[in-house]
Amino acid sequence: MGASRRMKRLYHQAQIASEDSSQLQLGDVLVEGDRIIGVAPTISGVSDCEVIDCQGRILMPAMFDIHVHAREPGHEDKENIGSCAEAAINGGVTGFVMMANTSPTIDNAGVVRTVLESARRARIGSSIYVAGAITKGRKGEELAGIAGMKSAGAVMLSDNGHAVDNPQVLRRAMEYAKHFDMPIASHCEIKDLSGKGCMHEGKVSYALGLPGMPSISEEIGISRDVRLAEYTGVHLNIQHVTTAEGMSTIKRAKDRGIRVTCEITPQHLIFNQEHIGNYDTNYKMNPPLRTAEDNAALLNGLKDGWFDVIVTDHSPHTPFEKNQDFASAPFGITGLETALPSLFHHFVSKGILDWGLIVKRYSAEPRRMMKLAPVPVKEGGLAEFIVFNPERSMTFTQDFMKSKSINTPFIDQTLKGMVERVIYRGEELLVR
Amino acid sequence: MTPRKDLLDIASLTDEEIEFVLANAGPFKDLFKRTVKKVPTLKGKSVLTLFYEPSTRTRSSFEVAASRLSADVIGFDIESSSVVKGESVLDTVETLESMKVDYIIVRHKKSGTPNLIAQNTRASVINAGDGWHAHPTQALLDAFTLREKFKDLRGARVLIVGDIQHSRVARSTSLILRRLGMNVAYLSPGSMMPREIPQEIAQFGNWDDALAWRPDVVYLLRVQSERMDEPFFPSAAEYHRNYGLTDARVDIIRERGLWLMHPGPVNRGVEITDRGMNYEKSLINQQVENGIAVRMSVLYWLKPGAEG
Repeated sequence: MGASRRMKRLYHQAQIASEDSSQLQLGDVLVEGDRIIGVAPTISGVSDCEVIDCQGRILMPAMFDIHVHAREPGHEDKENIGSCAEAAINGGVTGFVMMANTSPTIDNAGVVRTVLESARRARIGSSIYVAGAITKGRKGEELAGIAGMKSAGAVMLSDNGHAVDNPQVLRRAMEYAKHFDMPIASHCEIKDLSGKGCMHEGKVSYALGLPGMPSISEEIGISRDVRLAEYTGVHLNIQHVTTAEGMSTIKRAKDRGIRVTCEITPQHLIFNQEHIGNYDTNYKMNPPLRTAEDNAALLNGLKDGWFDVIVTDHSPHTPFEKNQDFASAPFGITGLETALPSLFHHFVSKGILDWGLIVKRYSAEPRRMMKLAPVPVKEGGLAEFIVFNPERSMTFTQDFMKSKSINTPFIDQTLKGMVERVIYRGEELLVR
Repeated sequence: MTPRKDLLDIASLTDEEIEFVLANAGPFKDLFKRTVKKVPTLKGKSVLTLFYEPSTRTRSSFEVAASRLSADVIGFDIESSSVVKGESVLDTVETLESMKVDYIIVRHKKSGTPNLIAQNTRASVINAGDGWHAHPTQALLDAFTLREKFKDLRGARVLIVGDIQHSRVARSTSLILRRLGMNVAYLSPGSMMPREIPQEIAQFGNWDDALAWRPDVVYLLRVQSERMDEPFFPSAAEYHRNYGLTDARVDIIRERGLWLMHPGPVNRGVEITDRGMNYEKSLINQQVENGIAVRMSVLYWLKPGAEG
């Protein structure tokens, strides 16, 4: 290993992406050990060097996903940290924050330590982080061991999957968490309004005869949490925004200087209620797929900079669980392996989004939000990047997937673009 | 006409298929006047009724229809079966698949369950009502019943009254009647009107406005108290006064000569009164009789093992 690690690698004539520019920069990238030791239009005369032809390929900082369900401990039939890490690598993601809705819940220092210990065995182990629950057992009643989790390594707090229903409990949590300098990530939903809903309330829920989750359930949740953030001064991160109105609320809050950030998922940009078709549970998620108008508004919001980060909300479920009637199947879809190709296929390849935006929103900003250093492709920087080939295409078969689960709308779809190489701290974790 | 395996909803049917089923229901109905009402059409075939929700009328209607076609009829008794012990729908279907039944008639409280079953069996699946989604044989029998009364359904007006939100009958019947050229309106308490309905369907919140729309047919829905876990209206009495067919409203529809329909079973004193039940232009009993003929026609039409 030593020999190959020491050997230099020259990524030759790549189109280099950076968060600072919508344009790609043609150049060579020289890597030695875990570092980038040179970036220039051309680098020549390097001895003892493996040359990797990157012509026509995009070379960009590796992705980082702050919203992932690794399912360990407790739901290892769906996923474990190891399989989740491999899925991440497969999609060009070299670090993530895993959510607390495990069994037991990640709501105290002991569980945080256990999870992080298990994570260290993964190939990107040092870049797997943990979000602790806001309340014990995510029940929305008593505060979880916030200080203890922070000292054990938790980087964020979230009751992910449901809101803290009682606003007084959330207020206290925000006030308390503020001094531990961790963002509170909110799943915004007024549960009494969503009721037994299993998809967006609208014309498709009417046609399919399914109970609906109205947009106002999410929107009122966002309004409430934004006001609480303003009142308490905590950094609030609104998870997976899905409606145009919810986005406007956040935009107004940002304009007023409230410490609020927010997430957008590829699925809520690409799909809407119409895609559910014949009760396809691979399109069932919470918050649900909304309308085509929301797709368009959210996409504009992303372009205009209203979304801080792109996340997948990677949520593995077994075929047995998903192969039920729509209302009974669990919410959630996987995403780590398909996020980047789907963004490329639907938006970047059509000139709707540029690579600079992808780097900013899916690599740099997520790391900053977790108080980590971004990994720009620059001399002296950490060699943590991917090589993406826009000319090849990829069919997302069950065999391709490294996740234990295949509950994704993209299953068996062919998308333009392919993650060809993933370099993590100088090491090539994936080559194809 | 491409052979079809399943009848899951109205939306997926072609005009030709709707026409085929309605046209053949007539000759089947003619059989009922004979002393021997049975034909050998499905001799040697087996029809299984899989009802996850209690139903006497629909289930019996299918059983009579299948018997009159000489099929062997098997009732899969959910109450005393492994389903109660937690077996999943698909595990049950796998068992049925091994039994090689030809038709499965399914009712389930969760929308889309018949679709799921249909994807996992070679047998023809007939949806006998799923959640709030669809009740296609009810829709077909309603269309058949109205075609007996109207020379041309095009332009005629039907007012569907009641709990639209939780009604598979409203969804399927409104769809087929619109396909046949009728105009459809919904009259419902605001709390039971779905948020977004097709814009071709007129919406009313009270009887005066709805009657001013000049309907030809009033179609009452059953107040499905068993499907409600939230308060949608204050009391049965208030529902009756504001949305029910009161005696006074019976007099109005009699005066105007409107047809009256109801999918049954009725809640007397809630959506309808005794006087309404005795109304001479009520089609309720004809709906029941036609239900058997239409279901025979459906069984005759579907082809077990056909693609999709």
